[in-house]
Amino acid sequence: MTDLKALDRDRIRTLFDLRTGSNAWSGGDFIDDPHPIWRRLRERAPVHEGTLHRLTGYPGEALFHGLPYPESPHFTVFSLEACEGIYRDPELFASSPNAGDPRHSGVESSMLMMGGAEHRRYRGLVQPSFVPSKVRWWMTNWIEETVQLLIDGFVDDGRAELNVDLCAAIPVLTITGSFGVPVEQALDIREALRDPQQVEALIAPIVAARREAPEDDLISVLVEAEYVDDDGVTHRLTDAEIHTFAYLLLAAGSGTTWKQMGITLATLLNRPELLARIRDDRDLVRAAIEESTRWEPTDPMFSRWVTRDVDLHGVHVPKGSVVHIAIGAANRDPARWDDPDDFDVDRPLKPSLAFGSGPHVCLGMHVARAEMTTALNALLDRLPNLRLDPDAEPPQVIGLYERGAMDIPVMWG
Amino acid sequence: MAWSVTVDRDRCIGSGMCIVYAPGTFAHDAEAKAVVLDPSTDDLAAVRTAVEGCPTGALQLTEEGE
Ligand code: HEM
Ligand code: SF4
Repeated sequence: MTDLKALDRDRIRTLFDLRTGSNAWSGGDFIDDPHPIWRRLRERAPVHEGTLHRLTGYPGEALFHGLPYPESPHFTVFSLEACEGIYRDPELFASSPNAGDPRHSGVESSMLMMGGAEHRRYRGLVQPSFVPSKVRWWMTNWIEETVQLLIDGFVDDGRAELNVDLCAAIPVLTITGSFGVPVEQALDIREALRDPQQVEALIAPIVAARREAPEDDLISVLVEAEYVDDDGVTHRLTDAEIHTFAYLLLAAGSGTTWKQMGITLATLLNRPELLARIRDDRDLVRAAIEESTRWEPTDPMFSRWVTRDVDLHGVHVPKGSVVHIAIGAANRDPARWDDPDDFDVDRPLKPSLAFGSGPHVCLGMHVARAEMTTALNALLDRLPNLRLDPDAEPPQVIGLYERGAMDIPVMWG
Repeated sequence: MAWSVTVDRDRCIGSGMCIVYAPGTFAHDAEAKAVVLDPSTDDLAAVRTAVEGCPTGALQLTEEGE
């Protein structure tokens, strides 16, 4: 039986503070609202020369996907049409600067950076565990229990800080749970994310155990997965390949879902009438989550590497350039959404780029949605009259390349 | 209006986007490739949204007549 007492709140607080540690490198000290700037840039032209942070007026350096590559020219794409066009042409706009080069470690060697048939082969091994019909499996095995136990931890206090006490913990516990990692080690893993070797040391014993005796979890899926290479020979994944997969899932799935959940809760708590409507009509939970991912996607930019000279909506983009896909700007393009700057749960559901697009579209999107849905429903079920703490600062969304909420102080009863 | 939709299995990566927008029209087979349910229980608008949302352009919608 899981015991979440093993989670150290102060440690979570340090690991999940947007302004500190690795979170700060991505522009964690950016506190302005970037959307008015992005709207002006999008209205002026679909494609601009320069990085997204420089075009946004951020003075410092920032690190994220596609940064820094100081030798390469950078361009940023703002319109939905241009962004979708790039996502859907993966040969011209590759997911890696060095397709074919010897591999690096961690995320650099994962399928995130692969292309073509190689990417399809690896993605095909895990996709069956992440389809909508598998959401039940994720919910009953890991998500529901995690959410209820976390709320148990503070339900009698009358107040909580949801960003750390709930949002930060759910995604990392869901993924480590699906790996079979005990709760006591879940935070070690989050902390080790800076060093793939350390993650490997934590995962290796589980991989070995599942090779002996598979269980009903994700590492077992990976040790049993088989693929056929170009010569028709069947292979199983090596330990190194499994470690890379595990590392990618942790890197891609824990921070993103934490921040998107915080954005969703902060946005709703800042709109008490809307939150009351959602409490009474749970069909709106889905709409609220979809609208949150459209309106304020936590990762508002991903990059592609240009493989030959191209004219992009009138701008000459040379081979070797890095293109920044400004998801956050494209998701407010009036070409697809009326009054796109409004947070409106009643708007017709239309596909946004919050989870990317093209062959690298987010693998974990249905799991992420399930985590956010479960958390929001559980809060509304268990914390009557949930509201912001009137004596504390209302929650604010900050960050440039990794946007998320600061403290979300709430009370109930 | 009569319509039909087809899946290009080579393009489909099994994202499940189509199932999010039109769960009465699409499902996955064991390889996580999209298959079309017949008859569909979605309205045409939902199917159009699914086709528009398919990240790899694997869905082809044909609309006939008025
Ligand atoms: C709300 C939460 C999330 C958001 C906003 C999000 C967003 C994204 C985006 C935009 C991409 C595309 C990257 C690119 O264009 O290069 C992506 C890829 C990916 N995501 Fe997520 N993600 C979320 C949650 C998750 C979760 C929970 C998992 C895993 C459990 C996950 C696993 C992945 C993986 C493995 C990829 C790479 C797919 C590939 O290269 O084929 N994500 N995500
Ligand atoms: S949306 Fe496209 S890629 Fe995704 S499952 Fe459906 S057909 Fe396949």
